[in-house]
Formats: sequence, structure tokens, C-alpha cells
Amino acid sequence: MSYSILIVDDSLPMRLVIKKILTAAGYGSSEILEAANGQEAVELMKNNWVDIVLTDHNMPVMNGMAFIKNIKSDELSKDIPVVVISTEGNASKIKEFMDCGAAGYIAKPFSAEAIRDLMVNILGDVNYEETFDDSNKDFDF
Amino acid sequence: MKKLLMTAIKTSISEVMETMFFLPVEFGREATLDQCGMDKKNTMASQLAFTGDFSGRLILLAPRNLIAEMAENFMGEPRRNLTEDYFSGTLAEMLNMVCGNALSKTKSQIPFELGIPQMINASEVSENEVFTIVETFDAKMAVLLKMD
Repeated sequence: MSYSILIVDDSLPMRLVIKKILTAAGYGSSEILEAANGQEAVELMKNNWVDIVLTDHNMPVMNGMAFIKNIKSDELSKDIPVVVISTEGNASKIKEFMDCGAAGYIAKPFSAEAIRDLMVNILGDVNYEETFDDSNKDFDF
Repeated sequence: MKKLLMTAIKTSISEVMETMFFLPVEFGREATLDQCGMDKKNTMASQLAFTGDFSGRLILLAPRNLIAEMAENFMGEPRRNLTEDYFSGTLAEMLNMVCGNALSKTKSQIPFELGIPQMINASEVSENEVFTIVETFDAKMAVLLKMD
């Protein structure tokens, strides 16, 4: 099954890494959209359907927390799951993300498995035994 | 506090380098860039400010060749496919992960706020600054913690 996945991170290398992990985890047929900050992501979501958002927090223009609040305050986007992938590892900060409506949190540095497992938990029906794409051997699960 | 934070930074550098860049590291003696033989001309540098219970900034310098190797390992792409933006982005992301990870290991009353990593010119770094030297297989980088 293919999805529309939005990656929001101001780091060009990090967006590429997450994209490769998603492809290796069986989401290769999904549409992967990218934004460099929360504001870009908000604009992009006005014209594109998104099934799940993976966002950093520490970004210029609009950070991850403000972006989540924006999404959750909009009737059209409030049910879209948002996963925070960030270096902000403080327990109270993570609680703040979850209280704002985040569906999950992954701390950087992360393993490829952490992203795959959370995606599977949220989207539910990806059987990676069958769909695993081994064309990219850089990420071993 | 600086000593405690520097210990956390060293642990985080090891974790980030091994988990994301697949490069084991060892920590050498403290030294100026001249003393450790780092050539500023072929070195890229980035700094990141943080605020919280205490404030300061972390500065990271690494030779271009090491950054290219880290970028290759991080993204699984040969360096010929990567532009300058990917190299500077790799150094900035390394600094971001190290700083965020290290600060989360400290017992703080107020959650730390990180700034955005900024690329700086290595030649602007003072000759007299004493860095913690981080050694990989055949290269070294330098890290400096400055408290406000």
C-alpha cells in the first residue's frame, strides 16, 4: 500500500536519510514530500493530501512544536499523525510534543528500525516481510 | 558544570559517530588547532548556541575529507553525487545531534533550547583556543564548548 509521507527537516542530508530508510522499509511506492520548515510544510499541505508527517523540531521560520499546533488546530489536518524526530531528548519537552498531539517521538541519533517500527505502528498494515525492498543495502534491519 | 557537560558531549560524540556515521572515535589530548596539526584551509566549521539552566555554544571543526566520508556513510551516497550543501549539512546535523543529545543527559530544571547550527569560517577561530580532539581512523576533528 502506498502513502503520502511528508518529511519536515531543515537538514538536507537528514531528509535524504529518512527518505532512504522509508524506501528500504517498504514505503518505496509511497509519495514522499519534503519541506525545510513548518511554514513550508503548512503551505505544501494546502495543496497535497498527506497520510503521515515526520518532523524535526529545531527549524528556522516555524519550528516543529508550532507546526504541530498549526496542524492540530485545523479541522482538515487535525487527524493526520505527526511523528517528531528530534534531538530534543528532555522528558518534559517530549511530553510537550505528545500533549500537542504528536503520535510518536524518535530521538536523534536514531536507528533505521526505530523509524520503521513507528511507521508500522501508526500506519498499521505494511507487512515488511513481503514488501521489504532490498535494493538499498545501506540500511540493514 | 562545564566539565560535566563536556563529559556528556564526549559520550554523545561517540554515540552519534557510531550510530549515524559508522565511525568509531577516540578522544585525544586537548590542544590548539596548530598543536594538533589541523589545516584551517581544508577545515569546515559549524557552531550551535544553546540556552537553558546554563547557556553557551558548541563549535565543531572537521577536515573536508572527513566530512565527505561522514556524508557518504550517513547518506549511503558516493561523494561524487553530493554537493557542498550536503557536506555542510552533514557537519551541521552532526553538531545538532551531539548538542541536543548531550544536553538531554544533563539534569536541567528548564528544558534547553537549541539554536540553528551556523557554518562559520574556520580561519575566524582564535589560534589560542584549546579544543578537545576527536580522532577517527585516519583523521581528527576538534570540538570546543564555550559557556556564556
